[in-house]
Amino acid sequence: MLELRELHSFYGRSHVIQGISLRVGRGEGVGLIGHNGVGKTTTLKSIMGTGPRTRGRIVLEDRDLRGPAHARARRGLGFVPDSEAVFPEMTVEENIRTGAMLKRRGDHKRCLDTAYELFPVLAERRHQLGGTLSGGQQKMLSLARGLALEPRLIMVDEPSEGLMPINVDLIATALRRAVDSGIGVLVVDASFQLLKTVCSRVYVMKQGRITGEHELDDFATAERLVETYLREGS
Amino acid sequence: MEHVVVAALNGLVVGASLALVAAGLALLFGVLGILNFAQGDFFMLGAYVVYFAVAGGLSFWLGVVAAGLVVGVVGGLGLMLMLWPLRERAHALVLLATLGLSLILEQLATNRFGADAKPMAAPIGARLAIGGTEYPVYDLLVVGAAIVILAGGYVFLRYVKYGIWLRAVAQNQRMASVLGVPVSRVYALAFVVSLGLAAVAGSLLAPLTSVYPTVGLDVNLNAFIVVIAGGLGNFRGAALLALVLGVVESLGSIVIPGQAVQLLVFALVILLLIVRSQRQQVLARL
Repeated sequence: MLELRELHSFYGRSHVIQGISLRVGRGEGVGLIGHNGVGKTTTLKSIMGTGPRTRGRIVLEDRDLRGPAHARARRGLGFVPDSEAVFPEMTVEENIRTGAMLKRRGDHKRCLDTAYELFPVLAERRHQLGGTLSGGQQKMLSLARGLALEPRLIMVDEPSEGLMPINVDLIATALRRAVDSGIGVLVVDASFQLLKTVCSRVYVMKQGRITGEHELDDFATAERLVETYLREGS
Repeated sequence: MEHVVVAALNGLVVGASLALVAAGLALLFGVLGILNFAQGDFFMLGAYVVYFAVAGGLSFWLGVVAAGLVVGVVGGLGLMLMLWPLRERAHALVLLATLGLSLILEQLATNRFGADAKPMAAPIGARLAIGGTEYPVYDLLVVGAAIVILAGGYVFLRYVKYGIWLRAVAQNQRMASVLGVPVSRVYALAFVVSLGLAAVAGSLLAPLTSVYPTVGLDVNLNAFIVVIAGGLGNFRGAALLALVLGVVESLGSIVIPGQAVQLLVFALVILLLIVRSQRQQVLARL
């Protein structure tokens, strides 16, 4: 479904992503792990077209993915950034409708229903401004909005960061449902609990390169996973 | 008493037209962060379009529509083309570019149409008895038209697809793009609507102000005051404040002679800015 072939990214002269290749299948959850600053978020931004200049191929469903972010979104690519993902002066409902309006009018309500079903707290706060929600609720809103658009593949950056365990559970469950419904999920996160729920494979990144690929079942515990990425990512 | 009624109504007329120009300015700043110094010149172009439309035999109201469409579409897309290469550059360049455009448009209008004021008859000559005086029906229509247009703008921004997208782009352009919002099309719409509003204001006021190359200058200055005090990028704030300032200035002129009434306006604006800075309101609230 999504394939990166020798992807390079550059911030000016700085060569931040140095030829990575990875693959995410339909209905597959894949994790991208590594230390801070190794290029995980830059990889997601490069795929979405909101990041730096890139070279190499990004292929979604056998077709090259090119052009600005909105064109890539219309090809079925979703992206939930780790911060500043909501429209702060728009209500929860308007936040969801912003994306839903790309679909036919009849589908708008379905998008809203999907989002509210994933996270009922959003329905209770549908008239509240996005910027006044708690950090956890903002994460739920941005994820629900992304999933409600029914993308073919969604990339999620640090969805569990700063959340209470109960909210991590909710988000992990929502992503698991997405995987089960056939959506490809590429997630950057450090939570073993979330990765174990959502992903079947993880890639380990180090200094702009992929240094390892593992089945999640290989890791019985979080300690084993951390051990591996400390070994391969350091 | 009649003086007060007339002054209040005059203030509403001035405020309504100012609100149209200021709302356009606020929209452009909210979406693109552009302060357009040439906004008053598109007000002037709107006035010329309606003047020549009427001179050419078209009805006044068709002329107003033509002014909004022609200046909005041609001017808006032209301005967008001019500023597009500067969008990632320093803000000062954009300001200078629009200032330069303003000077060019004024000079072109002077060369082409002459510096003299061209009077225009209002399309409706009837007067209405209000509060012991008779007031021109057309002036009231200008207020009504401006309120309808601004209310329409508010509904558009809250409930219509492209209106919601305009607000989304104003608040978080990158996220809007990630969700599939066609950002460049939204930019183009912001330019067209912004300049269209200025042109409609200019055309509606043409019978009251006459038509001349610098007719937009005063409106421009006041519109900037309104937009800054109302909160840069705040469509509603700019529209409401324009109406209030128009009325305050007009009523104030009864007791404060000549240009000194401007001091009252500036005092009000400074007060608002102090209050706003204390509340630390966010920008780009459309």
